[in-house]
Amino acid sequence: MRISVMSQMQRSFSIDLPSLIPLQLPSRRHVPHPTFWLIGFEAYLLSQTEKDGVDQMRGDELKKNALLARTLVRTTVARYQTNKEVDPRSLMFKKNVYGKPEVDWQNCKNCNHQPLHFNISHTDSLIACGVTVHVPVGIDVEDKERKIKHDVLAFAKRFYSADEVNFLATIPDPEAQRKEFIKLWTLKEAYVKALGKGFSAAPFNTFTIQSIPGTEEGYSLCKTSEVTADPLEETKKCNGEWKFAPLELADSHYAAVCIEDDQANEGAPMRVIVRKTIPFVEDQLISERIFL
Amino acid sequence: MASLSATSLSFKAPSIQSTRISQSISFGRFQSSKSLRLQISCAAKPETVQKVSDIVKEQLALSADTALTAESKFSALGADSLDTVEIVMALEEKFNISVEEADAQNITTIQEAADLIEDLVQKKPAA
Repeated sequence: MRISVMSQMQRSFSIDLPSLIPLQLPSRRHVPHPTFWLIGFEAYLLSQTEKDGVDQMRGDELKKNALLARTLVRTTVARYQTNKEVDPRSLMFKKNVYGKPEVDWQNCKNCNHQPLHFNISHTDSLIACGVTVHVPVGIDVEDKERKIKHDVLAFAKRFYSADEVNFLATIPDPEAQRKEFIKLWTLKEAYVKALGKGFSAAPFNTFTIQSIPGTEEGYSLCKTSEVTADPLEETKKCNGEWKFAPLELADSHYAAVCIEDDQANEGAPMRVIVRKTIPFVEDQLISERIFL
Repeated sequence: MASLSATSLSFKAPSIQSTRISQSISFGRFQSSKSLRLQISCAAKPETVQKVSDIVKEQLALSADTALTAESKFSALGADSLDTVEIVMALEEKFNISVEEADAQNITTIQEAADLIEDLVQKKPAA
C-alpha cells in the first residue's frame, strides 16, 4: 500500500513537472506558493459537494486543510490507476452504508472499475492518504506532541480494553505513557476506519491491539469477549486477519495503517511505501518497508 | 397545526418543541449518515447549551470570542475523533452521566450534545 503525506510547506519554488505524475496542468509557469496555487485549483478540481464541505469549516486554516485534504485524495487516487491515467476531476465519491467515504467507480465517466481503496486522516499540520489494492484500509495520524486534557490512564480505563490499560499502567514515565497512548489510539482508530462500520461497530474497549512479542513493530488485534462472569478472565480471540503498520511521519507525527488481509494474500507481509507530496508539484519517496 | 411534507414535520404552535433533520459530512474520520432521521424533542436549556459550548471551546482551544451556536458542528470546528471522545468524557464528568458508545457517535453538534445530556440527567435514578 502507499501513503501520500502532505506537510504544509512555507517555501516558494519553481518546478518542472516530475515525470511520474501523468497529469496535464493548465499552466507550467513559475509557481509562487504551493498552498495558494492549490487553493486556486479548488474551482478546477473539487466537486460541488466537496466545495460545500470546505465552506462549512469554520475559519481559514480549517477551510484550507479541508481543501488540501480533498485535493490530496483526488490526486492520489488518480495516480494509482492500474492501467490508465484518470483525471482527478472525474473521480466520484460516495459513502458506504455506514458513512465511510469510497470511490464511486461506477459513476466515474472515464474510469475502469479499479480495486483501489483509500482512507484519509489529518491533523493541523499533516494530511495522510493511504491507497491499497483489493483490501480495505484505515489510516490515522496524530501529532506526537498532542496533549491529552484528561489523565491518560483515566481516559484509557474509560475507553480502552483492560489489557491495554494494564500495558499503559506499566509505563512509569508520564511522557512515555502519553506517547504510547497516542500510538495505541492511532492503531485502534486505523482498525475502526479500515473496518468501515463506524465507531459503534467496534467500540474501543472490545478489542486489544498489542505488540507481537519478539518484534519491534508487529501488532496484532485481539477481540475481547465478555462471556465469562469474571471480568478479569475475558477470553480473547486473536486473529491475523488485520495487519498493522505503525509509522512516524516527518518526525512530528505518529501514524498507523491497518489493512484487512484478504485470502489471496494470507499471511504475506505488507509492503508500505510512504511518499511526501505536494499535489502537482513535488513528490518524494520517504520510505519503503515491509511489515510482517 | 401540523403539516407533513416528504422530509419534515413542523409545528406552527410557538412551543419549545423543535425538529431536526441532521446529516454530517466529515473528511477524516467518517460518521454515519443519519439521512432522514426525525427527532422531536424538547430543546435543551440554554444553560446546558452554554456549558457544552464552554467545554467544546476548551477542548478545541478556540479563542474566547469564537461565536458558537447550538448548531455548530464539532467537525466544522476542527474536532477530530480524539477531540470528540475527550469532549464526551468532559461532559460525562461535568454532568455526572455515562454516555453509551452508540449515543456518543451520534453527537455531532452542540445542540445534540446538550439534548443527550438533559435526557440522561433526567433518566438518572434519584440519589
